[in-house]
Amino acid sequence: MQSLDRLALPEAQRDQWLLKLLDKHLVYIPVLYEDRVHWRRLDPADLNPGAGIAPALRRIRASEPVKSFMFNPRQQVGAFPEKLDPAEPRTRVLLGVKNCDLVPLKVHDRILTDGEFKDPFYVAQRKNTILVAADCPVPEESCFCNLLGLTPFATDGADAVLSVSDGDYLLEVGERGQELVDAAPDLFQKVDDGDGRIAKRDEGRKAAVAALSRINPKPWNPDLAAAVAAKRKDESFWRKHAEKCVECFGCLMGCPTCYCYLLYDQVREKGLDRTRVWDACYLAAYARVGGGANPRAEFVKRFANRFICKFSDFKNDHGMFACSGCGRCFKACMGKIDIRKVLAEL
Amino acid sequence: MKNPYEAIPATILKTMDETPNIRTFVLKPEQEIPFLAGQFVELTVPGFGEAPFTPSSSHFKRDTFEMTIMKVGKATTALFGLKAGDTVGVRGPFGQPYPLEKFAGKDIYIVGGGVGLAPLRALFLALTHEIDKYKRVFLRYGARTPNDIVYRHLLPEWQKLPKVDIDLSVDVSDEKWMKKVGVVTCLMEEIPCDEKTSIAVVCGPPIMMKFVNQRLLDAGFQGGNIYLSMETNMSCGVGQCRHCRLGPYLTCKDGPVLTWAQIKDIENPFV
Repeated sequence: MQSLDRLALPEAQRDQWLLKLLDKHLVYIPVLYEDRVHWRRLDPADLNPGAGIAPALRRIRASEPVKSFMFNPRQQVGAFPEKLDPAEPRTRVLLGVKNCDLVPLKVHDRILTDGEFKDPFYVAQRKNTILVAADCPVPEESCFCNLLGLTPFATDGADAVLSVSDGDYLLEVGERGQELVDAAPDLFQKVDDGDGRIAKRDEGRKAAVAALSRINPKPWNPDLAAAVAAKRKDESFWRKHAEKCVECFGCLMGCPTCYCYLLYDQVREKGLDRTRVWDACYLAAYARVGGGANPRAEFVKRFANRFICKFSDFKNDHGMFACSGCGRCFKACMGKIDIRKVLAEL
Repeated sequence: MKNPYEAIPATILKTMDETPNIRTFVLKPEQEIPFLAGQFVELTVPGFGEAPFTPSSSHFKRDTFEMTIMKVGKATTALFGLKAGDTVGVRGPFGQPYPLEKFAGKDIYIVGGGVGLAPLRALFLALTHEIDKYKRVFLRYGARTPNDIVYRHLLPEWQKLPKVDIDLSVDVSDEKWMKKVGVVTCLMEEIPCDEKTSIAVVCGPPIMMKFVNQRLLDAGFQGGNIYLSMETNMSCGVGQCRHCRLGPYLTCKDGPVLTWAQIKDIENPFV
């Protein structure tokens, strides 16, 4: 964000603001269902008195990775022989994106927008999405963003950053986030540097960082990319972890950074629809060629490949890890394979 | 913004059987595919999938182009069921062409095996089209039997071209076969060009690539001068989906032709 305008929205005005946003945009918020947070498309009726629906901003990231909004699990990307006429997506506001979902969008930007060939569907959905980050004040046992050098609050990549302080919303808005404030400028107050709510927000951030240090006290190998690469061919190392894997691919489907996909065609009455679906490198057929040869026929090779991709190849290619420490892979794992423990051994 | 996933229709003008399971398809795309030798296109067989193939015709003529394809999987089996007049889809070109500017003034030693001669033909035609730019062009080609030789009708013509030297072998001969019998490396006992500076270009089954590459290295060829067509599973063709990752490379974007110097540290590159 370039210019940072700092504003406060008193708690009592929150729903009025959300209603204003709904006039112009689709609005998605994280909502607590039982004990898990899921994204919900906000309906004006959600804000009726007694509806009991409010953004669950003090909780960790939602179960669904934010990439799903831009890099859809299933997306029609073509037709044949005639061309697909893509609809212009409506602008959306995602309110409450945690840093561990924000950083992974950089991974997708690198792959889907920065190269010679761009994914026009991702580009359009990214452009039409306003990202409001939210601090993550209460990390859970599965969180490990600190091991990746990340913070439990956004530092860049968001259009606005939201913190809850004494029940009020504190908002730092960048150029694009300004339109969210402009939707209802009268509801917001300017906040001075000396405002007690700022100090309280900063204390909350410090406490979250401290909590993460308690959850994950021991840093990984400082040259993790090299350490992972050095194990590339060491099957015995990977095997002892891979043995616990039941190949459900939950870790890959929940991952906010994984970007592998597969194109496939479906036959229509006249012609074809081409669809892009998420793929998973753990699948046996992932690297298999037409004649049947497979460079990663054994599962242990596919297991190692996931780590090599995220922590060595991507770092070497793009200067960042393809992991943000969100912990979804670990939470999803039926074999209880904790990515932190695997990497801690390096 | 251009949609890189969408194929353009191409009409099959003609098919020619090369061997019992290898066929050449002459395609006329609705828009010209501006490929250079070594680049590939993704071919859609409607209803049966999409797969990458390298054009085997000269890049100096692109209103139509040819691809020589072996029946091996689902999409290619379905393709063999199509005939002249049918429509397929093509998108591309993708990948890197042979760096012909680096080949200038040098001997080019081409080694092919089986259907691997298909992409090499595009290179061979590009080289011989401007033969004055190169020193000499050698082609060493091995097939399983005489009936498995692709471009059989073209080889005698090619041999007549200036500065071209061709030799063939088959693994199993018949009574009419007058040339060498053995795997293609039997043609490489003597390599009649300067191993320090010459360019070698190889395409064939993985096991053949492995042994030919080793023979070239033993002969003294420089790893950076050995160009190998790498086979990996591909989906997108445009450097995104990651299926074709080979060591630090994406075969679709950085390849499909990589030099031995690039891939020598990769575990089992010839799978």
